[in-house]
Amino acid sequence: MSAHALVVEPFETLAFMRSALVACLALALMNGAVGTLLVLRRMSLDGDVLGHAVMPGAAVGFLYAGPSPKWLSLGGLASGLAVAALAGMTTHGRARRDAGLVAFYLVALSLGVVLVAWRGSNVDVMSVLFGTVLAIDQRALLQIAVVSSVIVLVIATLYRPLAVSAFDPAFLRAVGTRAPYGAVFQALVVLALVASFRAFGTLLAVGPMLLPAAAARCWGLGVAASMALATGFGLAASIVGLLVSYHGNLPSGPAIVLAAGLLFGISLAATGSWRRLTAMIG
Amino acid sequence: MEADNCVALHNVTVRYGRRVALEGVSGEFVSGSLTAVVGANGAGKSTLLAAIAGVVPLAKGVVDCAARRRLGYLPQLTAIDRDYPLTVAELIALGGWREFGAFRSPGTALRTRAAAAAETVGLAGRLGQPIAEISVGELQRALFARLVLQDAAVILLDEPFAAIDAQTVPVLLDQLMRWHREGRTVIAVMHDLGLVRARFPVTLVLARHCVAWGATDVALPAMVA
Repeated sequence: MSAHALVVEPFETLAFMRSALVACLALALMNGAVGTLLVLRRMSLDGDVLGHAVMPGAAVGFLYAGPSPKWLSLGGLASGLAVAALAGMTTHGRARRDAGLVAFYLVALSLGVVLVAWRGSNVDVMSVLFGTVLAIDQRALLQIAVVSSVIVLVIATLYRPLAVSAFDPAFLRAVGTRAPYGAVFQALVVLALVASFRAFGTLLAVGPMLLPAAAARCWGLGVAASMALATGFGLAASIVGLLVSYHGNLPSGPAIVLAAGLLFGISLAATGSWRRLTAMIG
Repeated sequence: MEADNCVALHNVTVRYGRRVALEGVSGEFVSGSLTAVVGANGAGKSTLLAAIAGVVPLAKGVVDCAARRRLGYLPQLTAIDRDYPLTVAELIALGGWREFGAFRSPGTALRTRAAAAAETVGLAGRLGQPIAEISVGELQRALFARLVLQDAAVILLDEPFAAIDAQTVPVLLDQLMRWHREGRTVIAVMHDLGLVRARFPVTLVLARHCVAWGATDVALPAMVA
């Protein structure tokens, strides 16, 4: 098989592969920036939980309007933002709250599955859990492109305070900054997860966000360079994952997440960051 | 320094959930004073500084600080994420935040001043290094240099000498005395009572409420007793 047949042909001949590729690339552009800030803020677990927080709302949207992208997204956005606000109200500083988060994660996931299964089929359940990256239509693609652009622009504008508040939030408040950058960032994470929901589902949406960022973080670069590298890793994982899933007849979302996981593993091994792994993920 | 750098507390009360961390503290840090805040663990010392800095909300009372816009706050070192990808120079330059603000980068003049501040705390050779690769003492020096750049009228230091190596303490203490001579109001949470006795004219003894507040030789015995 020639390189052309291996790499270019699947995208050249199949429209759904092209749509999937464009969607994944658009998502990778925002995920590089959001994921890097998420990892730097040590909010990886929060990101995972917010991914599941999208689920019950999306399920309610599904009950109301069936598998309509608009209602799935609006429902997911509402419940994601509600949970982020709730978490912000009930926590002080960096207190450990993993038990509460995990409890919530399980309840949200189960509730979502029960609601979707109540009115829908097993296929519907699978698609909210793992996404349908190969079934992205024009409207969904447009939605992903708009959300991704907005997120990249907001992060570019607020880059400095977002980066500093991740490192020393008390400093920003002491110099008189009253803007709630933590809350702004959480809202961006929810928005990014809702945009990823169609493609990767509630279980995997946080994967293309966190894994390329965690991989980039291994290389000891500055914040902006880490974001750029994470974006590059995300793009590479999308292309490799889609091609592997096509040629191997494997599910696409998990293949992309696995490709990103492989990049993380390579980055850990190449930079000798194994011992920093727990600190970084924690 | 102008003379309105006083910080007045009126019945300051802070709660974390149901736990009262600080109750009914009233009094005044006189403009240009150098005060040590002492007390047992859990006495509310760090909470008091955070309350003055506006980092924790007050359950009751008022903090009156005319120089609020020119306040420098250094929390305990454990509050800083040392793995963060930032160089010493970038960390110090943050002291000029008010000049460049949220949407611009620090200019050349500011970078020069950052380098000068690094030199006063003995960090001149470390500017390009990531903060993950410097020692705890060097990190505290860098944070002091950031405060120098902030040109704050009121300076709040939370245990500035805890876990700091013996070579660094005199350097930081010199800087602290320099701020005092320049007429800035300095408030520091301290554990080393010998150092408090030797260098701090005023002491505030806390045990969730104010036990004693005044000249160190008068107030400090309330802590030891």
